[in-house]
Amino acid sequence: MKLEFVEDGELRASFILRNASAAFANSVRRAMKSLVPTMAVDYVDIYLNTSCLYDEVLAHRIGLIPLITKLDKFNMPEECSCGGEGCPNCQVSLRLNVEGPKLVYSGDFVSDDPETVPVYGNIPVVKLYKGQQLMIEAVARLGTGKEHAKYQPVSVCAYKIIPNIQVSSECSGCEECVKACPRSVLEFKDGEVKVKDVLACSMCMECVNVCSEGTIKVEETNDYLFTVESIGSMPVKNIIQKALEILIDKAKGMNETLAVLGEES
Amino acid sequence: MFPVRCFTCGAVIAHKWEEYSKKLEEGKTPKEALDELGITRHCCRRMFLTYKSVVEEFARFHGAVG
Repeated sequence: MKLEFVEDGELRASFILRNASAAFANSVRRAMKSLVPTMAVDYVDIYLNTSCLYDEVLAHRIGLIPLITKLDKFNMPEECSCGGEGCPNCQVSLRLNVEGPKLVYSGDFVSDDPETVPVYGNIPVVKLYKGQQLMIEAVARLGTGKEHAKYQPVSVCAYKIIPNIQVSSECSGCEECVKACPRSVLEFKDGEVKVKDVLACSMCMECVNVCSEGTIKVEETNDYLFTVESIGSMPVKNIIQKALEILIDKAKGMNETLAVLGEES
Repeated sequence: MFPVRCFTCGAVIAHKWEEYSKKLEEGKTPKEALDELGITRHCCRRMFLTYKSVVEEFARFHGAVG
């Protein structure tokens, strides 16, 4: 198995996973989506809320604001030495104390930890009119996407098979397949049909269906093209790395269980 | 209030809302504004296109009852 980066950005990356099984590709995708821990507000103490939004709507909006996550700095609440009660090692509180008229932004939250702050400071939370007040303490903790979508470190996280497109030498060059392709994967050059951009192919098989001679073939391979977009809480590369670490840990755990079972029988 | 995230894909979109409304005020079409902001998926684009603020209307009647 091999990883090749096609596009490598802080927020958006796409890479090719070569020579892997579909099961492995899918487990990588699922690990990135639902097993990588992320910081998000989970518990909100509302001391005063005279805004137009109800407490629960406000709490929901605050929960969805992405926070910068330093994974080595915090423990998962259930694994923390405090036993999940809440301590500086597993949670951060963000305070908000404002009075209208004012448009409250995510950047107005005052965090206990200068490193755990909203990724974007300009997310509008609620609009306060004259005399309306907010006194809020929001408690953020680590969680996984399994628990709630707000803990997902990625928004788009998908893969597709990179096909193997072959045109045999019996092709008459009618160009029907080139015209039929909705993603312009094929091109007609020097009297023959050539593959221009395999990565764009969605395997819709339009070219195969339209070909009257049956000279074009689109086959599945063991190569996958992943597209991952981060929410901003951490760079995509870190998410991929963390997801793979989690998969390794899980595989180790599985091996141990199997070894124990083998001894028993 | 403008939704923090896209309902379908979960990408954060609210941080681009102010820029978007500024671009509309400048006289740009929604298409131009969204293209410039790099919002490419149609799930995220419809969040901007179909949003209607009602906070102001709420505020007018806030506290009027009870």
